[in-house]
Amino acid sequence: MDTIRNFCVIAHIDHGKSTLADRLIQRCGGVEDRDFRDQILDSMDIERERGITIKSNTVTLPYTAQDGETYELNLIDTPGHVDFSHEVRRSLMSCEGALLLIDASQGVEAQTVANLYLALEYDLEIIPVINKIDLPSADPDRVREEIDAELGLDPFEAVECSAKTGQGVDDVLEAVVNKLPPPEGDPAAPPQALLFDAQYDAYRGVVMLVRVYQGTLAKGQEVFLMHSKKSYVIEELGTLRLERVAQRELPAGAVGYVIAGVKSVQDIAIGDTITDAGRHADEPLPGYKEAKPVVFSSMYPVASDEYENLVKALDKLHLNDASLTYEKDASMALGFGFRCGFLGLLHLEVVQERLEREHGLSLLLSAPSVRYELELKTGEEVAIDNPSLYPDPSEIESTAEPFIKASVMMPERYIGTVMELCRERRGEKTTFNYLTPGRVELTSEMPLAEVLFDFYDRLKTVTQGYGSFDYEMLDYRDSDLVKVDILVNQERVDALSQLVHREKARQRALHYCERLADTIPRQQFKIPIQGVIGSTIIARTTINAFRKDVTAKCYGGDITRKRKLIEKQKEGKKRMKMVGSVQIPQEAFIAVLKTDAGK
Amino acid sequence: MSATGEEPAGLYLHVPFCSAICPYCDFAVLVGRRDKRQRFVDTLLAEIALYASRQRSANEPSRQRRANETQSPDTIYFGGGTPSLLEHDDLERLLEAIRRTFAPRPGTRIYLEANPEDVEPASLDAWRRLGVGTLSLGVQSFDDDELRFLGRRHDAAASWRAIELALAAGFETVSVDLIFGLPGQSASGWRRNLERAAALGPDHLSCYELEVHERTTFGKHRARGELDELPSDEQAELFLLTHRLLAETGYDGYEVSNFARSRRHRSRHNRKYWRHVPYLGLGPSAHSFDGRRRWWNERSLPRWQRALDEGASPEAGSETLTPEDLAIETIMLGLRTAAGVDLERFEQHFGFDLAERNSDLLERSIAAGRLRREDRRIVPTLEGLAVADGLAAGFELST
Repeated sequence: MDTIRNFCVIAHIDHGKSTLADRLIQRCGGVEDRDFRDQILDSMDIERERGITIKSNTVTLPYTAQDGETYELNLIDTPGHVDFSHEVRRSLMSCEGALLLIDASQGVEAQTVANLYLALEYDLEIIPVINKIDLPSADPDRVREEIDAELGLDPFEAVECSAKTGQGVDDVLEAVVNKLPPPEGDPAAPPQALLFDAQYDAYRGVVMLVRVYQGTLAKGQEVFLMHSKKSYVIEELGTLRLERVAQRELPAGAVGYVIAGVKSVQDIAIGDTITDAGRHADEPLPGYKEAKPVVFSSMYPVASDEYENLVKALDKLHLNDASLTYEKDASMALGFGFRCGFLGLLHLEVVQERLEREHGLSLLLSAPSVRYELELKTGEEVAIDNPSLYPDPSEIESTAEPFIKASVMMPERYIGTVMELCRERRGEKTTFNYLTPGRVELTSEMPLAEVLFDFYDRLKTVTQGYGSFDYEMLDYRDSDLVKVDILVNQERVDALSQLVHREKARQRALHYCERLADTIPRQQFKIPIQGVIGSTIIARTTINAFRKDVTAKCYGGDITRKRKLIEKQKEGKKRMKMVGSVQIPQEAFIAVLKTDAGK
Repeated sequence: MSATGEEPAGLYLHVPFCSAICPYCDFAVLVGRRDKRQRFVDTLLAEIALYASRQRSANEPSRQRRANETQSPDTIYFGGGTPSLLEHDDLERLLEAIRRTFAPRPGTRIYLEANPEDVEPASLDAWRRLGVGTLSLGVQSFDDDELRFLGRRHDAAASWRAIELALAAGFETVSVDLIFGLPGQSASGWRRNLERAAALGPDHLSCYELEVHERTTFGKHRARGELDELPSDEQAELFLLTHRLLAETGYDGYEVSNFARSRRHRSRHNRKYWRHVPYLGLGPSAHSFDGRRRWWNERSLPRWQRALDEGASPEAGSETLTPEDLAIETIMLGLRTAAGVDLERFEQHFGFDLAERNSDLLERSIAAGRLRREDRRIVPTLEGLAVADGLAAGFELST
């Protein structure tokens, strides 16, 4: 066990996390050069393309250190976004130490701080790594000062490297071996293994990623999952070296995979504790938290004949993503689709993108909504996340919406604008405290719904990219909720209906109206667009009729070309969604809804 | 869809030569020297001869009717390009061959497009003697800056002079082509052009809006961001101004881009295109139509020439129009004309009541002031004429 090191790399975005991981893997011979590709741990196209990590991954690196000993280094790659903070936390839990990567020219950034504090919460040993020292603008000495002043870490512990050129990578590995503690645990105790992520394999079913804390897991062992209370027999287990390498057992301290005949990720709960079926551990490990969807949106295929494909695609995606929920839904304007639940907006975007990319679907999504709790006059309590199911206001006694505790970390110069932003977003009990001189953490209790609507974008803007944002769910609080409908030429577009706080209704409705007016092409008729609460108009815009489209000349008898143009126009109209007598192009829905999705 | 034979056919000859290529021109044109033009005329004669031989083989009783329809035109149109570049004896040779082969009807109208710089008393005289009835002058503008922008080789003074000379030469109809909607063109700038044209008083005016096509020089400029088209609302202004001002000065806008001082000056030839009357097109890129089938010649001069050199047809493609194609075209073309769509005729040809099938659309379009019902016709208003394409695309035709 003394030769095992479990660690992760945490960093501000673009500070070179994936590149460093790639280089460590290459240095340890984890992959043949010819098999190597950048961002090797990110297997999904979308991860590689956006340079983000969504699923946790892990790789075991055999490393012969300068002391002559061969170590087993388990690099656990963690997602880097608040939507996946459960995964982040569980991944951190599986480590004893972390490399805190800092760009040699950018220096300490907001997420550097946020990640550091998260890692410290799990009592990880931290090694600061100053990356990109090959850059002409690199200034490692200044970064060391920042490490001291802003992070409160020992600047002399910092290792310098260039993940790009490979310079200093050996020093990083030596630091991992020498400065990070080996895991502890008793291989003979009743097993306690954290299930920190799972992947779906078309041939083997669910592949569980585990970190063993106590005891030993072995092939053929009957295990028990303490939260879901199910038993399985281990068919195969082992370590991951980009490929699965089967072993006979995984003792305390080990990180690896377990295959136990689990058919679908729905059957297990990430964060669960695996123990022996006959010899239970006293208690499960902390870290289990049910991943509940908090953001809801309806998805419709752009072409209605793609509905069946959407069903298949969702079923398939769900195998690998237990946190996604979905049920059938139908819209007058957009046809049949699904009401889906997501962990957050990035999760929503990722799901949409995977459906579109991996399954070739073209989708429309309705405005994201939170789940509201309503008490009816009858005393009955209902939860509503779909505006189309919102009861008549006369039947409603009270409404409540979920609040979060938002925390924003930023350089102190942005306090004013961020407090203003929080106030705009109905933030309550906004307070701040200094993490270090110049660095502030601001917390505010605000409705989750306010965060769904481009909060993250705005935060990035007002803090010029320096603000980092995280949140946790608090509770439900009473709220003055109204349903805003959008009428296009007097017809309600159900997919654009939304539940909002009364104070925000007018602003939101106007935003939608203006967006639609910008994106719906002019038609033969003047089209009024209105935002209404019930029958009260709260916002309006108008699309003027177009006035000129006729081509000048039908020349030389080439009528065919002209007819083709008209046919093309007719064809284009078919692809639009008809709302009453108005054709609304898909792009209009996308443009309206996209602003909401934020980033 | 006009029953074939109801109206005599039209004959079109495409002369693909210009003295310079205008940066907006999307036609099959090229700059060619005299010897090339000579060879072109020879090949065009060969194409006419090809039809002559077909006519002989078609003179069996079963095909006689159809042959007659396409062979007896009452319009002969020399378009281009710049047909006024052709030598007078070349024109004469062509007309002779046409008379021999297609037996034009008595009173056949001959049209010739001419550039102002080619208009001289001697050439006007020659064209008159060859029987040209309508001389169509590519004036385009009365403003030197605009003419330079359009890449034209004449100036405003030449425009004036050409029109005056042509009007004095005694043609049945003198028509003037103008272009509007130039980048940055103001309503008052365009109005000056219209007023000058009206003051000179040609019998017919064609006012085309500048269209920037991808493959043209202007298209490339636009792609590079060097040419900003006039915004659509301003185009609409100029379009409405054109129709209103010309109506006030006695020109009847009988089609989107065409205006005539009186009915007899309207283009008999163009009307055939708009009413599905058969026409035969000769020369590179020319289109032909026999009532059901439309075909078109090779667009490039060398290809067209090669085919005919080998005694083969220069046809590059064709389509047979389905009743639905014909119906779409009927609406699309009808709504471009002041006469609109004749519902009676439509129902006779396509077997359903267009107005009934599109009652919602009609109601809305009438309410919006874009269409009118006149007895059994759907007629575009001026505002409707401006959006004829969109109106046409809105009609439901499937059964």
